[in-house]
Amino acid sequence: MSNDTEPAQVSSVAAESHAGDCDAEMQLLEGAVRPLPYHVVKELLSVGVCARCVLRLFGIEEHIYCHSSFSQSMLGSILEEETSFKSEVEFQFCSVCLGVLQFSYCDDGEETVVKKESAKDMALSIAELVKQEGHQIDGFSLEVSVPPLILENESSLLSHMKKKYESEPWFQERLLLSKCHSVKDVLKFAITKPLETLLGVKASASSFRIRLTYTHKRASKKVQNSVERNQECKRRKTGTENALHNVNDESVIADKDCSGYSTIETNSVTGIFSNGVQDQETSEHFESPIEKVSEPCHLVYVCCRTHIYLCGRYLKYSRNVSQTRWIIDEERMGEASVEEIIGSNILPICQGDNYKFHAAGREDIDVRMLGSGRPFLLEIQNARQVPSELIVKEMESKINGLENKLVGVKNLKVVGSQGWALMHEGEAEKQKQYCALVWISRPLEDEDMQTISLLNDMKILQRTPIRVLHRRSPLEREKIIHWMKIERIAGSSQYFLLHLCTQAGTYIKEFVHGDLGRTQPSVGSILGCRAEILQLDVTDVKMDCFVTE
Amino acid sequence: MSDDMVDRTRKLEETTVSNSLHEEEEEEEERPVREKAEYEEEELHKLLVPDVSQLPPTPPSAVETNFVSYFAPDFMKPGNDQYVYRHANGLCVVGLASTHLAFKDKGGITAVDFNVGKSDRSSMKVTGKRKRNAQHFESNTALCKVCTGDDSYVVRCCVKGSLLEVNDRLIKQPELLNSSADREGYIAIIMPKPADWLKVKTSLLSLEEFKILRELC
Repeated sequence: MSNDTEPAQVSSVAAESHAGDCDAEMQLLEGAVRPLPYHVVKELLSVGVCARCVLRLFGIEEHIYCHSSFSQSMLGSILEEETSFKSEVEFQFCSVCLGVLQFSYCDDGEETVVKKESAKDMALSIAELVKQEGHQIDGFSLEVSVPPLILENESSLLSHMKKKYESEPWFQERLLLSKCHSVKDVLKFAITKPLETLLGVKASASSFRIRLTYTHKRASKKVQNSVERNQECKRRKTGTENALHNVNDESVIADKDCSGYSTIETNSVTGIFSNGVQDQETSEHFESPIEKVSEPCHLVYVCCRTHIYLCGRYLKYSRNVSQTRWIIDEERMGEASVEEIIGSNILPICQGDNYKFHAAGREDIDVRMLGSGRPFLLEIQNARQVPSELIVKEMESKINGLENKLVGVKNLKVVGSQGWALMHEGEAEKQKQYCALVWISRPLEDEDMQTISLLNDMKILQRTPIRVLHRRSPLEREKIIHWMKIERIAGSSQYFLLHLCTQAGTYIKEFVHGDLGRTQPSVGSILGCRAEILQLDVTDVKMDCFVTE
Repeated sequence: MSDDMVDRTRKLEETTVSNSLHEEEEEEEERPVREKAEYEEEELHKLLVPDVSQLPPTPPSAVETNFVSYFAPDFMKPGNDQYVYRHANGLCVVGLASTHLAFKDKGGITAVDFNVGKSDRSSMKVTGKRKRNAQHFESNTALCKVCTGDDSYVVRCCVKGSLLEVNDRLIKQPELLNSSADREGYIAIIMPKPADWLKVKTSLLSLEEFKILRELC
């Protein structure tokens, strides 16, 4: 018996203390409302402005009326009581914020009108989405975007009030226009704490973004046609899904990424409506009360992580693997690509949607990339999990341990957005070192080895090689061969290894065989005979980035 | 060369010996950095050196590897044998085949003049990826005139298409035609439209067919 009553007692105590909190909040609220000009509040309420909008327009601190469990009805009734206002209707969408601060919206997927009682309830649906998506987060950043119509309404209303009440003493005191809080700020303030509680992490400048995008069918009244058309386009884009699609294991680079859910750029539009010139016009429009709306805004809320980057250096051991996915007429060239090998092994571990591969330069499919490797960046979109150092090491071992040994990875690690700059910094100046297997039409002499090794920082002129002339401009490019060294091959008099270090952008194959005389000088012309290249390997990409510390 | 081999084997032996010694004393991670770098160099070098037994005595030339050779015997005139090398990307390099009449003249070719027809072919400037300003020529359009001590011969496009480049080195060095007409002595580079190529291809001979025709085997 006692067991039954005890829990009940505990919960009632909890309820009481909770009620106690609420009471304290309510008293604070009543205290804040009391000094307001009641006749103005009544007028606002009568033209359909919601309670929170009224309070924020007067610049009242958010923490007073944004308590997460404050419901619409509670706030509304307090205001009405204090000011003895009798509302005619049960509920209507706020004529300024269009329901945003009433936590009411039209659900994008089902097209039904949703009315959340409190900020806490709203935060609950958002938190559910985050959990559904399976994101592992250590923080979140909340972004809200509202349709320009709301700002127009607000602007209209404020100018009207300015005109009507300028002379009144309270107006001077309150400096209405500058003190009012924006809809966005109020909404963010209201939902942030409950979200923090539900998700168990703090709101901060995080790579994990929660975006609420409100749009309204009725585009703003004054905006020109072009912007309206723009709005419609963006609405189409944002009206796709609530949650981002799941990744297909086979898929590679699709063009979708988080930024496709672009928020409506209110900045440029609000610029027009800032105080000043427009006031005259807007207040004229607002002779009659702001039009009451029958529908709330559409809301699309999404959560995604901004791109994470993994950097490192890759090696290519095969002469039949291209750097990036290469398909001609539905047929793949080569047996695999560096991009796919690295990307497909990392993407599932990060549980991302897509990956994009970037490298500092490239080599032909039949050229191996050896030595220190070539710097690369792998961009992972909407990763559900940011890999730890340990996991990154595992990724590296996994790729290096693949049975076919086509590709290797070094110094793999997570890097911030500065990875971009690092990789492309001075790319054109970086030198590359190669080893070519060369054949000449006569036996190699010791003199030849001397001749070659004496050439330092030699300038060559290369016309666009015939093999790329179909897609590149016909130009003559001057390049520098920094040094060369011949290494004899045991058992052969006409084959040898040519080690050379050149300026970025030099076509090595053409430098060896001369490309029908279009590269001058060439190895052949220097040695006074015909020279052919059989194999080429890149042995060093002389860049400082992405090396072990 | 055998010295090299001895050197290399000795080096390898040295490192293997020192390797095993080190293994007894310290663990992999503690191997000094310098030795690791040397080890990596050795490993890299092993990858670079080819297996000599697999190397052909004479490898295929760059032209053989990258182009398919076609021939136009007696093009527009008896003895006017020209070649067309077609690259996989569609570009065609045209030039004089070794059996061209001009090479039979005493002293060989002495001068090349690109100023034929309506314009000087060596003066055009083709720019950009789209190859703007390239002149569109028919297969019988004249490219240049080749002179020997006795005679002069007109060289034509053989392929209908846009003229991308002429070998202007021939102006100063016409002897390139005598020494290597099939490589550095090429005449021009032409870009035909796919449909135009298919049409002209039917009238050209393959290398084998040409050899048989001219009894070059």
